[in-house]
Amino acid sequence: MNSLLPLIKNETLKMMKKKRFYVVLLVLLILVPIFVYAQMKIAETNREKFNSDWRLAIRQAITDNQNSLQSARVPEEWKKYRIIYIQQMKYYLEHDVNPQEPGGVSFTREFMDNAATLFIPLLIMAVASDIVSSERSTGTIKMLLTRPVRRWKVLFSKLIALLMFVSLIVLSAFVISYLISGLVFGYKGFSIPVFSGFQLNGSDVDLSAVHAVPQWLYLLMQLGLIWFVSITVAILAFMVSVLVRSTAASIVIMMASLIAGTILTNMASAWTSAKYLFMVNLDLTNYLSGSPAPIEGMTLGFSLIILAIWAAVALFISFTVFTKQDILN
Amino acid sequence: MRASSWTWRLVSWVSVVATLVFVAGFIYAIKDVLYPSASSKWSSGPAGGISSVTPQTNDKEIQIVALGDSLAKGTGDDTGEGFVRRTVNVLQKEQKAPVKLVNNLGVNGMTTSGLLPSLNEQGIQYALKGANVILLSIGGNDLFQGAQNIQSSKGLPTAAELEASVKKASMKLRQIVVKLHEINPNAQLVYVGLYNPFTDVVDMRIPGNDAVTSWNTKATAIMNQYSQSKVVPTFDLFVENSSKYLSDDHFHPNGAGYEQIAQRIAQGLK
Repeated sequence: MNSLLPLIKNETLKMMKKKRFYVVLLVLLILVPIFVYAQMKIAETNREKFNSDWRLAIRQAITDNQNSLQSARVPEEWKKYRIIYIQQMKYYLEHDVNPQEPGGVSFTREFMDNAATLFIPLLIMAVASDIVSSERSTGTIKMLLTRPVRRWKVLFSKLIALLMFVSLIVLSAFVISYLISGLVFGYKGFSIPVFSGFQLNGSDVDLSAVHAVPQWLYLLMQLGLIWFVSITVAILAFMVSVLVRSTAASIVIMMASLIAGTILTNMASAWTSAKYLFMVNLDLTNYLSGSPAPIEGMTLGFSLIILAIWAAVALFISFTVFTKQDILN
Repeated sequence: MRASSWTWRLVSWVSVVATLVFVAGFIYAIKDVLYPSASSKWSSGPAGGISSVTPQTNDKEIQIVALGDSLAKGTGDDTGEGFVRRTVNVLQKEQKAPVKLVNNLGVNGMTTSGLLPSLNEQGIQYALKGANVILLSIGGNDLFQGAQNIQSSKGLPTAAELEASVKKASMKLRQIVVKLHEINPNAQLVYVGLYNPFTDVVDMRIPGNDAVTSWNTKATAIMNQYSQSKVVPTFDLFVENSSKYLSDDHFHPNGAGYEQIAQRIAQGLK
């Protein structure tokens, strides 16, 4: 442990020096205001249309979705989402709780929900992809390995530094989104109830497990799940970075698999074994909000186990390869 | 060197604390999804639910809510406006007071027996309470359900079947109108009468006309029991002009047909 801490410190400082983390912050600072502006526009049109009464707007949304259920051109798997959406909205309406209560907290919840599968993983790749490969392409890896430290410790310190930055990135996404959206929508809304626990049984929605959660707790759970997803993505990017010599190649590999994930979830309902791929299981926050899983038979437990297995295998491969491999040229 | 140790301290502390918080959230999330606690269940809502809230009404504005089937929704109109949006447009030109379409709750394929239970839904009641004009279109699917995609005379309802549907559905219509008045006694209720979409099908011209006429008579009798309630006839529009006013599906009106219906509704509103 005594020899590890200075190594971790060293790696952390190297990460800060590379300024990747500042790039991540900059991306957030530029993109979040754009989303806030879009959300503001939506809120404005709704106010004009429905006499600023959210209940009427929700009721209209229910009817619109009912109509699309009638259409034969809408694929069956999309209808599942609509059915559950209709039931959720009816539930919110009956309990007189605005599911889209304007406010910085609600915006943040929505934003984190949408960012969980692609946006945050991309930010994480910005710091993770070159963590080992850059040492190799610049040749500094030889300096690192000639020091009297065991190889696994070198790699382990890099991993810990990476995991620290994963937490920092998830935290910054939350903080920046809350601070910026709060400027427009206000900083209130932590105690608004959010309903969780909708389940789909065939074509019926099971409401027996539905319960209200204050929004701060919902956000906390959401952040926890996003953190887990981010850790998995970071570990996989870490492995790719060990295996691939070039940083560009390692970024492309990770990006391709993440994007493949979003494409697959949209069309994988026919190919059920796709559920064993990690990128299909990234949308953990869905289980919280009650949106149906992309593939039959996926549950939170299932997704967590799949992600954990992928992460464990990736760690095993990274450490075996890194400790055994010859460093040439 | 001092700057770097300061950075290290900050980064390590913030990330460790954040990680602990995330882990706590993660564990709680697993617990909440896998074993949702019944104790935190919210059966009645924060303040008794939406039924305890009254929508804001505004007498200076004409606030329209449309209810019913695909005609209310505007199916068949290439512009998507339907008679509802077109009525609003006409009224906006004619009336001094601002006219607003609050909700269009028309759902494709809606029948009287589907509409009646949905009136118990609190969200729909809430929308209706805020309206001062309610446009209702229902019954077409009760009479001609299944026939709308059939071009040949096979599978079309017989005169006896039509008569039975008229009888059954008109009872439901009465219950719907009673319910609507219960929910909002002050609004003007406009019922859009039925037309026979099959006047050009030889076997359906007379039985269809008879059934629709009988239906419209019954509907008028129901509406006459209330003040501020009326039936707007559409039957005569389509009898000779079905090719002019019907859309390609031979069932729903087209844009021109909806425009005619809208004109009539607007003429009858005070």
